Amino acid sequence: MNVRNLIKKYDGKAVVDSVSFKIEKGKVTSLIGPNGAGKSTVMGMISRLVAKDSGIIDFEDKDLSQWKSRELAKRLAILTQHNNVQMKLTVQELVAFGRFPYSGSHLTAEDAEIIAKAIDYMELTEFADKYIDELSGGQRQRAYIAMVIAQDTDYILLDEPTNNLDIYHATNMMKIVRRLCDELGKTVILVLHEINYAAFYSDYICAFVDGKIAKYGTVDEVMNKETLSKIYNVDFQIIEIDGKPLSIYY
Amino acid sequence: MMKKQNSYLSKHKWNLIKLMILALLVIATITAFMLIGIDFSKPKLVAFAFKLRAPKLVAMLVAAFAIGAASIVFQSIINNRIVTPCLLGMNALYTLIHTLIFFALGSGSIFAANDTVAYIIDLIIMAVVATFIYGYLFKKTNYNVLYVLLIGTVLSSLFGSIQSSMIFVMDPNEYDILLETLVASFSNIKTEIISFSVVLLTVVAFFLRKDLQLLDVITLGKEQAINLGVDYDRVVRRLLIGVTLCIAVATAMIGPISFLGLIIANLARQLLKTYRHSHLIIGSGLIGMLALVGSQCLVERVFDYSVPVSVFITIGGGIYFLWLLLWGKRGSI
Repeated sequence: MNVRNLIKKYDGKAVVDSVSFKIEKGKVTSLIGPNGAGKSTVMGMISRLVAKDSGIIDFEDKDLSQWKSRELAKRLAILTQHNNVQMKLTVQELVAFGRFPYSGSHLTAEDAEIIAKAIDYMELTEFADKYIDELSGGQRQRAYIAMVIAQDTDYILLDEPTNNLDIYHATNMMKIVRRLCDELGKTVILVLHEINYAAFYSDYICAFVDGKIAKYGTVDEVMNKETLSKIYNVDFQIIEIDGKPLSIYY
Repeated sequence: MMKKQNSYLSKHKWNLIKLMILALLVIATITAFMLIGIDFSKPKLVAFAFKLRAPKLVAMLVAAFAIGAASIVFQSIINNRIVTPCLLGMNALYTLIHTLIFFALGSGSIFAANDTVAYIIDLIIMAVVATFIYGYLFKKTNYNVLYVLLIGTVLSSLFGSIQSSMIFVMDPNEYDILLETLVASFSNIKTEIISFSVVLLTVVAFFLRKDLQLLDVITLGKEQAINLGVDYDRVVRRLLIGVTLCIAVATAMIGPISFLGLIIANLARQLLKTYRHSHLIIGSGLIGMLALVGSQCLVERVFDYSVPVSVFITIGGGIYFLWLLLWGKRGSI
């Protein structure tokens, strides 16, 4: 995925200002930055949830807007935090929706197999017939991930997946992200607030400030005292654990 | 109630059985409505009674299905179980149109006295308002359904206020005649009105057949629907216009029934506990038929026409609505 000169304005004020970057295939890329830096808006635009004002989002040699929505749904999946379903829906039924771009509402035997595998992969088999409003926050999040896995896309976009999760579930979530990339070969792009999760679990970090990219590179390139202090306007110290840089801020 | 965890398929089968039982109940009610109180020893009277009852029955069935389907679709789009398409202001518009005609032209004019003409006027005005005003507003508000609801409520009160100010200066005798047309009734519905309504509803259903199949996904919310490849804005706009047209047809045919949609849609959801709209729409339509034909049966055979059918619907609906709000389990709303 290749993004060039992406611009989004709200009331004449540019929230995303000429942003260009290239997402590496088969890697985990985290978008970080302070509040209002435009990272979620960028995520919205590259997932077609938010309309862009100008710029090019080149996805698999075709601009995103040229894609048929249904075809795109087989290549790129987005999971946001706005998931309140009013329906009585079991885990199984929710995950089955992941097959919608392929089979509509008539599931084939192959679909059923993929659904079962996705549920199993997220370790939800024993909850398959539970209603999602009866699950805990972490389980529900996993059910949605299972749905995205069933959608079987190359790209998975996650908007603040660790939001509202406690440390245990958030860490689990990040491990899942890593597995999606390492075991299933997905390209994962996520918006994160917690820098250390980004540092520990992703391959690339793209840092936004005021609608522009402040720094884009590998984890080691971004995770240093000067860059981080400039981005967040806070003093940082970088320590190393397990060969990965972690930041301490106060 | 939900303790037993049914698996995917058996729940599906159960719902089919429930729908079948509902259909049987509807058939039983229809039979009761058609046959009770007929003296079978006089064949001429039997034929006459059938001729009187059959159009009424068909009108009720058609209206019930239109309202039931429209309510389910509307609730699923708004993603809220306690809204009804009445909030779009179609009932208030209907009342306004009739009052306006009586006010400007008098009860003797062809637009008021001739049922077919009145029906066509109602339908044209409501359909035009539905397609243009709502179509325009949806676009203008970026398909934000909450704005649409708000605008619907504002329009309802606007129509209502215009109507009531006209009533104040109206001749009391005219008002008396007007009032008759403002409550839902099934008497004297002409066959051509019914067949025209059926044709219209079929056309609407035909044009929306693809959009209706997307309803299951749409209830997952806008972002999930887009993620799964649904052209959300377009589908929602088409469905909302379909909903208003359905309500317009039903209202023009039998008059305003405010609570019916809310009750039957919720009863269907409670009974079937599914997200599948093919089931929900059929269920809601069947329950609507049951409610309408059943209460009309009561009105005609037990209360001897002394109470209009909307009284039953409104009282029953009001109580059910309160129950739903106050005691309905959180998970079931």
